[in-house]
Amino acid sequence: MWFSKFLSYLRLARAYIKLNWSMQMEYRGAFVSQALAMFLNNGTWLAFWMLFFSRFPVIKGWEQADVVTLWAISAAGFGLGNAFCWNLHNLAAMVSRGELDVWMLYPRSLIPHLALGKMSATAIGDLAFGYFIYIVMVRPDLQHFLLFNLLVVAVALVFIGFNLWRGSLAFYFGQAEVLSEQWFFAMITFSTYPNCLFDGWMKVVLYTLIPAGFVSGLPVEALRDFDFNAAAFTWLGALAVLASGAASFELGLRRYQSGNLLGMRS
Amino acid sequence: MKNSIRQSWAVARVAARSNLAYLGEVASRTFFLAVILFIFLKLWQATYRESASTVLGGLSLNQMLWYLTVTEAIYMSAPRLAQQIDEDVRSGALAVRLLKPISYPLYCLSSALGERIVRFLANFATGAVVTFCLVGPFSCSVEAPIMLLVAVLLAFVLDGLGHLIIGLWAFWLEDTSGLLLIYTRLSMILGGMLIPMELFPDWLKSFVLFLPFPYLIWGPAHLFVHADWLQFAQLVGLQCLYIVVLLAVVNLIYGWALERISAHGG
Repeated sequence: MWFSKFLSYLRLARAYIKLNWSMQMEYRGAFVSQALAMFLNNGTWLAFWMLFFSRFPVIKGWEQADVVTLWAISAAGFGLGNAFCWNLHNLAAMVSRGELDVWMLYPRSLIPHLALGKMSATAIGDLAFGYFIYIVMVRPDLQHFLLFNLLVVAVALVFIGFNLWRGSLAFYFGQAEVLSEQWFFAMITFSTYPNCLFDGWMKVVLYTLIPAGFVSGLPVEALRDFDFNAAAFTWLGALAVLASGAASFELGLRRYQSGNLLGMRS
Repeated sequence: MKNSIRQSWAVARVAARSNLAYLGEVASRTFFLAVILFIFLKLWQATYRESASTVLGGLSLNQMLWYLTVTEAIYMSAPRLAQQIDEDVRSGALAVRLLKPISYPLYCLSSALGERIVRFLANFATGAVVTFCLVGPFSCSVEAPIMLLVAVLLAFVLDGLGHLIIGLWAFWLEDTSGLLLIYTRLSMILGGMLIPMELFPDWLKSFVLFLPFPYLIWGPAHLFVHADWLQFAQLVGLQCLYIVVLLAVVNLIYGWALERISAHGG
């Protein structure tokens, strides 16, 4: 029963991805330039870290290869989570404006439709960047590469769950766009700096309120030491963030008020 | 000449005033600035500790944080000048702008300057409060703020000319956002926004000194923490030299661009 349901949702995801991909390909030039721009943007940050580690080779046990792994996993995970679920990025604004009505008309659960509704070219640039630097700069063996793939999926789930968290704020606070945006910036910033820099109460924050520890901490540890415990904790954390994100959305949805907007999805 | 200065002053004043009306936007940037400065504090604290040194690149930890406060305030104050020109060219709004009794590049530059000064002062005030809370006061010399203001003003003119050159390429290119991204990322890394130029490898430092980027960010921030009249004179001289060179380039490109304009109707 649940398996056939799962397959049905997979088919839905495939249909959305196919449709969104063909839309992106209509503007091929813009798609390529946006993806390349993000590739370049991430490359600049990596250049900063190369520069930094050329001067200071070890910071709290972290070396250059660890920071490359950090950027690979966070860019690829963010890319995977947002490339196909980009609609969640603007969830707070959609809720505030009462724009969920059109999505509520579809059969099946609301979250998959809403999440898969839009694709992002820049996030595809992130995804490509993550894999590119991991393969070219870290040069993993097959085992590490397989583990990397598993962790990328977990990190993508963290970002999807986190987007549901921050988007759901609008159900409870009304105008929550600025708050949601600031929370997002904090998550991205903490996800791209070595986790070893933070300790004490900050560590607690990074595994709860701003779950960047499941992006920049445990996955890097798992890949560096080939540690299955760290990988398992990453997955547990990812599922917890996703489940709590979905729960806060479903609870918030009960408070949703229609904007009475006439709309058509193009 | 006198007329042009008067016109520029009027445009800059209007832009500054209209920006003062949006101080609420500053509040939303406060959180992001606080997060960034907190992470920088943690990163450099760890770096100073691991290198068992109280001074790196001639800066103590306190000076490093104040240096980064200035660089962040400069970088985050950049207005959307290149994008504005790009939009003007593509939407045809340029035809209306050309009717104004002030040269188009001068109008754009003056307006950006007025906007940027307000943003910089707001960013710096916010950053200073955050940095004060993190590492305590900074005992700068009396002349340091004056040197900073002059150097920052010239840096904004120089950066504005760089943005103008990129924006004017909209006459030939479909989209200038890629060029802008390259320019902003180069100024971020080579301008010393994240890491002072004193900590660059020697080969990179000697190369970068021949480019305008260090005089946009590193120069003013360095003067703030190490006020020195000789270095101030050198910086101002180099900034003026690059301004003259870039002005000539803007004139040249703008002349070519004007030949491509064709406006129809009204």
